[in-house]
Amino acid sequence: MTTGLLFAAAALPLLQNGLIVGAILFSLGLVGILTRRNLIVMFLSAELMLQGISVSLVSWSRYHGDFGGQVLVIFVLSVAACEAAVALVFVLQAFARTGRLDAAAWQSLREGPLPRSIDQEIPAIDTPGLVFPQLTPAGISPETDTDASLEREHV
Amino acid sequence: MSPEALLVLVPLLPLVAAIVTVVAGPRLGPRPYLPAVTGIGAAAVVALLLLVVTARSSDGGDHPRPVDMVKTLWQWATVSEAYTPPADSPAAVPGTAVGADTHASRPFSIAVALRLDPLTATMLILITGIGLLVAVYSIGYMHDDPGSPRFFALVAMFVFSMSMLVAASNFLLVYVFWEAVGACSYLLIGFWFVKPEAARAARKAFLVNRVGDFGLAIGVFLLWLTYGTLDFHDTLSPDGTILPGILGQTRLADVSGYAGGAVGTAICLLLLLAACGKSAQLPLHVWLPDAMEGPTPASALIHAATMVTAGIYLIARSAPLFMANPGALVIVSIVGATTALVAALIGTVQNDLKRVLAYSTISQLGYMFASLGTGTLLGFTAAIFHLLTHAFFKALLFLGAGSVMHAMGGVIDMRRFGGLRKLMPITAATFLVGSLALAGVAPFAGFFSKDEILASLHQKGWPEAHGEHGEHHAFVPVLPEPASPRATLHDVGYRGVASAESHAAATAPSGLDSLDTPAVWQTLFWMALVTAGLTAFYTFRAVFMTFTGPLRVPDEAGHHAHESPRVMTTPLIILAVPAALAGLILFATEGLASFLAATPSFTAPAVVATAAPAVFHWDLAVQGTLAAALGIVLAAVGHYGRRSDGPQLERWLGPIRPFLENRMYIDQVYVAVIVKPVEAVALLAAMFDRSVIDRLVRALARFPAVVGNLIRRLQSGLVQRYALAGVVGVLAIIVLMAWRL
Repeated sequence: MTTGLLFAAAALPLLQNGLIVGAILFSLGLVGILTRRNLIVMFLSAELMLQGISVSLVSWSRYHGDFGGQVLVIFVLSVAACEAAVALVFVLQAFARTGRLDAAAWQSLREGPLPRSIDQEIPAIDTPGLVFPQLTPAGISPETDTDASLEREHV
Repeated sequence: MSPEALLVLVPLLPLVAAIVTVVAGPRLGPRPYLPAVTGIGAAAVVALLLLVVTARSSDGGDHPRPVDMVKTLWQWATVSEAYTPPADSPAAVPGTAVGADTHASRPFSIAVALRLDPLTATMLILITGIGLLVAVYSIGYMHDDPGSPRFFALVAMFVFSMSMLVAASNFLLVYVFWEAVGACSYLLIGFWFVKPEAARAARKAFLVNRVGDFGLAIGVFLLWLTYGTLDFHDTLSPDGTILPGILGQTRLADVSGYAGGAVGTAICLLLLLAACGKSAQLPLHVWLPDAMEGPTPASALIHAATMVTAGIYLIARSAPLFMANPGALVIVSIVGATTALVAALIGTVQNDLKRVLAYSTISQLGYMFASLGTGTLLGFTAAIFHLLTHAFFKALLFLGAGSVMHAMGGVIDMRRFGGLRKLMPITAATFLVGSLALAGVAPFAGFFSKDEILASLHQKGWPEAHGEHGEHHAFVPVLPEPASPRATLHDVGYRGVASAESHAAATAPSGLDSLDTPAVWQTLFWMALVTAGLTAFYTFRAVFMTFTGPLRVPDEAGHHAHESPRVMTTPLIILAVPAALAGLILFATEGLASFLAATPSFTAPAVVATAAPAVFHWDLAVQGTLAAALGIVLAAVGHYGRRSDGPQLERWLGPIRPFLENRMYIDQVYVAVIVKPVEAVALLAAMFDRSVIDRLVRALARFPAVVGNLIRRLQSGLVQRYALAGVVGVLAIIVLMAWRL
């Protein structure tokens, strides 16, 4: 490895820069995913982490003079594209169910006796004058999903 | 079919009946009795055949040769080389000289073997015969009971267990079926288990019997240590030597074949303890009066005719063991005569018809024990004779009491009804026959058997009056000095179990032997005679209170109190015949005595030596009849034709009356001395269990809960927390790896 570094002495600053950029991107993504609750922003942060890794892979690839890292990046990109499609569907569905993009709206997996963590009271929807259009009921009315309606209180 | 194969059928048929009843259960519909009645009936027929077969083969002239036929079904347990006789006692198991090596270790082998001999045949016909009549009677008696399939299954099960008990040819099997009949008895006493008294009575019977069973268990252990086998019959080991069974013909022929001294006495007393438990003798008699909580047919079958005679059977069967220990024999008689007197005294003031009969049963069983304890052939056969006649007339009396109870709507207190003679003529007549037999009025059955028992006691008390057999009054088997180095059995038991010092103590006559004096026997005779008078009194007191006087019927009976249905009265009539005639026939023909004499246990030289020519003792018969007549007259003076709830004769008893009515406070003493302390200890144990052990366990159980409560906080359900945990975890792994590297 030391011989490789000696031969590629000129490439070293480039590698360093690339790794630094990659690390910054990764860390930004990590911080983003840990601190933001908006599902789309969390998703973006995860992408950011992926890109950070990709940059460092490209840097190493260039430093070593082979294409292994770059090929891997191509794979990462394609997998990320697929993942993006799937994840966005999830986000869309989650929004359709709760009307929110807040990750904290989904806490059902917590242990029973623990209280729901609410860091901010959500203002009640004040709709005194609003009249929503209603369809004429037809067929058998569906059973109300009590769980879902509970969750809806926090919309 | 060979007799041995027939012998297997007797227990097998009721067992099949019991299983069929249990499996078919409610599907039998209105006829739950069918399997039981058929099975027991078939078994009774087979038992009758066996009786004929045994009687044929025992016709051996003046000197009856032992009759036994052994059927080994299968080997239950075999442990090879389980017992090695000590090297210094070549006669560790005497009689083994028939084979070669007496030092060789012997296997512990338990064969499921049945043995047919006259005693077994007699008991079998008794068990199946009474069992059949009781089963038929129960068709009517248990007619309305929803649990009647259970009842019939239990009765069939009992007949199976009891016939196995008397047919088994092994002390361990005897123990097993001893417990089995106890279990059947427990289940039948507690048949109406929703009734608290019945459940309590069942538990009491079970617990009191445990004491006796404990004696039997220890006795069996000692038998094994002493004799190196538990089989009754001789067995042939694979190498061709004969291993003599405890009651096999090899050992019976050996004069010194049975252990005397301390170990022999201990075995006999433990067997006696077992017999006291099962046969309700003092001090273990307390369960039998309470056992009357069960259905009356079960009381008739189990607690009057058959199961309670198991103790008599056991001692008669072990006669040679007892003959080697005269002290133990005297104890048998003392226990028996005391029980007879005490139970008869208590019986005189009881107002519950079934309870009177229960005490009468205890008293009559005591009679049989007293007779067994004389240790003469006359005594043994008289006991079995009385067992037989008693089974007939006591079953008859119980079934009669059941008939009364059936008609009176479950009321059994004699003060609440009277004059039933007009209402239930058949029951009254048969009950009277049974009572005459029980009271010992000639020529009814009880007279002859009771006379023989009195004669056997008289013979021991006044040996000179009985001529040439006087010298046997204190019977010690004549043991020849051991000519060979083979010691007599007196050495045997203790070598196995104790040190050399006890050897000396054991060969000396045990202290109990000094009881074997004419004075003691004379006392016992007078006790038996007084009991005979008391028996007549309480029996006829019950008869007069129930059947004479103005007709009175309790409210519970409703307006339709009537004679019982045919299916119930027919067994009464059938039983009345042997209750009236069995004694005369068996006594006049001497059939039973000569038949029983061929039982292997009674062919031991010690027993045969006591054989006396059967004579009818006029003086004893007169004494016995006088006592009975006195009792009957006294009962008539007090109760004949009077209202049974009126002033009673017993008021003259003064302070003795509450003493007797409270059953001599024996139950109360047991409660104070045994039950209360045990309950106190149990209470302490329960407190310890709850306050210490339970708390400890709960504290331990709380530990995972506490830890779990701490850890569950981590499961917040928030995605960010999980992501943070993942990051922290990855960092930890990186740090760890860096540190390792």
